[in-house]
Amino acid sequence: MTAIVEVRDLARDYSMGSGAVHALRGVSFDVQDGEWVAIVGPSGCGKSTLLNLLGAVDTPDAGSLTIAGERIDRMRDTDATAFRLRRIGFVFQRFYLMPALSAAENVELPMAEAKVSREARRARVQELLGYVGLGARAGHRPSQLSGGEQQRVAIARALANRPALLLADEPTGELDAATGLEMIELFRRLNRDGTTIIVVTHDAQMAAAAGRRIQMRDGAIVSGDAP
Amino acid sequence: MPVRLALLALFRHPARTLLALLGIAVSAALLLDMVMLASGMRENFKGFLMLRGYQLRVAPKGTLPFDSDATIDSATALVAAISKLQGVIAVSPVLGAQVQTTAAGDSNVTAFTLGVIPDVQGDYEMIRGRDLTDSSSVVANERWLEATGHKLGDTVTLAIGYDPQLRTTVGARRFVVQGVARFYYIAATQPTLGMLLPTMQAMGGGARRDRVSLVMVKAADGVDAEVVRERIAAVSARISAISLEGATEAVEQRLGYFKQLALVLGSISLAVGVLLVTTLITISVNERAGEIAVLRAIGVAKGSIVWQVVMEGIVLTSVGAISGIGIGLITAQWLERILSDFPGLPTTFHFFVFQPRDAGIALAMLAAAGMLAGIYPAWRAASLPIAGTLRREAVA
Amino acid sequence: MTVQWIAGLVAVMSCAAVVHAQVIDSAPARSPVVRSVALDARLATDHGLTIGDTVRISAAPGDSLAERAVVTALLARRADPSEIARQEYRARLHLDQLQRLISYGDRVDRFAVQSRGDRERTTLLDAINASAFGFRAWPSAEIAVRTSRTFQVVRRFNSAIGVITIVASAAFLLCILLLKIDERRRDVAALRMMGISANTIVKSVVIEAGIIALLGSMAGVAFGLIVARLVNWHFQGVYRTTLAFTLVTPQTVLFACLLSVLLGVVAGWVAARRLVGQPALTLLGR
Repeated sequence: MTAIVEVRDLARDYSMGSGAVHALRGVSFDVQDGEWVAIVGPSGCGKSTLLNLLGAVDTPDAGSLTIAGERIDRMRDTDATAFRLRRIGFVFQRFYLMPALSAAENVELPMAEAKVSREARRARVQELLGYVGLGARAGHRPSQLSGGEQQRVAIARALANRPALLLADEPTGELDAATGLEMIELFRRLNRDGTTIIVVTHDAQMAAAAGRRIQMRDGAIVSGDAP
Repeated sequence: MPVRLALLALFRHPARTLLALLGIAVSAALLLDMVMLASGMRENFKGFLMLRGYQLRVAPKGTLPFDSDATIDSATALVAAISKLQGVIAVSPVLGAQVQTTAAGDSNVTAFTLGVIPDVQGDYEMIRGRDLTDSSSVVANERWLEATGHKLGDTVTLAIGYDPQLRTTVGARRFVVQGVARFYYIAATQPTLGMLLPTMQAMGGGARRDRVSLVMVKAADGVDAEVVRERIAAVSARISAISLEGATEAVEQRLGYFKQLALVLGSISLAVGVLLVTTLITISVNERAGEIAVLRAIGVAKGSIVWQVVMEGIVLTSVGAISGIGIGLITAQWLERILSDFPGLPTTFHFFVFQPRDAGIALAMLAAAGMLAGIYPAWRAASLPIAGTLRREAVA
Repeated sequence: MTVQWIAGLVAVMSCAAVVHAQVIDSAPARSPVVRSVALDARLATDHGLTIGDTVRISAAPGDSLAERAVVTALLARRADPSEIARQEYRARLHLDQLQRLISYGDRVDRFAVQSRGDRERTTLLDAINASAFGFRAWPSAEIAVRTSRTFQVVRRFNSAIGVITIVASAAFLLCILLLKIDERRRDVAALRMMGISANTIVKSVVIEAGIIALLGSMAGVAFGLIVARLVNWHFQGVYRTTLAFTLVTPQTVLFACLLSVLLGVVAGWVAARRLVGQPALTLLGR
């Protein structure tokens, strides 16, 4: 298997009042193509910071980060945005669907930005919503969907442009136990179908379902950095 | 997609959007009115002067027509000289003076009277009755009939002066009210009469013999009126020849107060419109900082987000501006009614003249303003750090 | 001797006429009697005339019947909106000189009559009107009212513009205050969840909105005063007049402040009631 994510000595600091907070201290690991990795650890250990760096929504202060053969840490904002659009799928804890758009329109959004033709977009939307089990709810607004359904739409949106990597930040954080299990099952299916997934989670069952667990504490990896 | 997102963002808070539209509509209305006021007077006045096709006016040196009681002497020779000039196809001499008539109850009514030559006159149009035919006929406006209590067909005594020593009228004659006319260049509230020019001159005795107040000149089609004007000016040193442009400019100077006012108010209403749209967009964008950060996170380019927000500003100002056109036309009529009360203003003169071009100018200015108003807040919002914004929104 | 022709003087004292003035910078006295003349201050400025200069006045340029006069006073243009933009110059001559120059004979356009008192004035008016034919006598106050019609029209026009501006401003004020108060929905939700009553919240929002409106209107008054000064300075310079184009009076300040506070309070009340009418969790977006 080829390494789709290569992280070397990644560091990120935040200035807070009088001093700096070392959110990440020299983190290094690889993720192979088709792997499902869960990043776990106590609150404030740097999990979300790491995910943000992997998703190119933040820039490291030191180290290197390569995803699908491209150096992310050196990218300009416009290049990073385009990279996120085409190569990364992001799933958030709070779903963050556009409240004024329907489920189908939310899924269509990244494809519209990527200038995919209308026919191709429509076909892909139907395919994805069917995949996540919401084919019949395409016209519903987020306010008309349950938490689990909203998260499924968010996942479908993240997969719209066939990303190389799916990143999920506490995807079951806002869901009840039963829905959380459904979500875990969906992730399992995605991974089985070839999607490389990195999940940040507090959910023990989500972490257990993943192929590998990276344990973090105080901004560093304590275990699981090797496949 | 950006247009759809822009429209959805606006409709998310209908009450707020409606209020903003109302504010923009009223601003647009005021802006349209000021554009109409600034440009309309000029266009209207030109049309007003050209009602009967006379492009040139000849008045006593240094004055505008009927600016003063000054008259031009040796009128017959002057008219003949002008008529012979190359390019002139019609010449209409006019003499204006105050004429007295006795009304019901022995009170006097002073009428402003024009002595004209009916075949070439360019000062009135007949409403009913007959035009001037002989030296004993007059035409009157409605106001004169109302003031004197006379009607069409009545015989009246008109006098042009009063001798206090002899305590008698001067130049009194009897006339038949032969027709009712609408005088283009005189206020409807002013009692007005028209009679034959020679009659008027004769009534004035020596003081008005062979004198006129004004000569109107028509140049042939295709002839440069300015060239004819220069030829007329060369005929005599005691006259001023005034072209359409010259007269328009002179009147514009006198009504320059309103044009300046129009410019100032127009600028203020545009500025206020921009301020409102900027404020609205800024607050709206701040509320959606989290959404915008998510859009950035899933790969939507900064430019697309800026474009979406700018579209909101354009849609808001365009819809508001289009509604404002209707309001502007109504308020223009109201303002026109107020200004038409100006003393001595001719009935055919209008301050506010709607031209589609004016609406286009007002709309374009507001749309441009709306676009500019959205750019800065949009750029700021799209430039917020994604991770930090998401974290802040999650905490909130 | 330098000679300049100045065309277009308009005499206004007692009859309207067009006369022409030829300025003589330094002319030896030819006639023993040289009359005085008062010229338009603009004319003086534009052609470098001062009090003491001698001018030659005639009814037409180059007229051999021109008469000399010494400039003894300068006239300021009346602060009338319908006159300030007029370009022609004005002058005042001795009546008999003007009558002679324009061949007017023993005629005038109007008389001004001073009576001993109010009672005498009424008797006098009646007597003149009863004996006159062809002219009428008017009390000066009535003339003032009639000739002030331009002011009245301009006043009504400006009031109408003011009304339109107020409507637009009211809509803006309401919109912006609604926006600002709506931004605080989470704060309101938190307060409601703590047990603070809806009435308390509404009162505090209304007071806040009123204070914002009052402070805003005071800033607006200060801004208006500055703009008014700038407008007057600009237009008085353009038209060379003392006419005040814009005036900020205590009444307008009071009206503006009261209206904006009222609108602010109304907007605050409407927005606050909308917010407290919704469940707290809805305000939090859940």
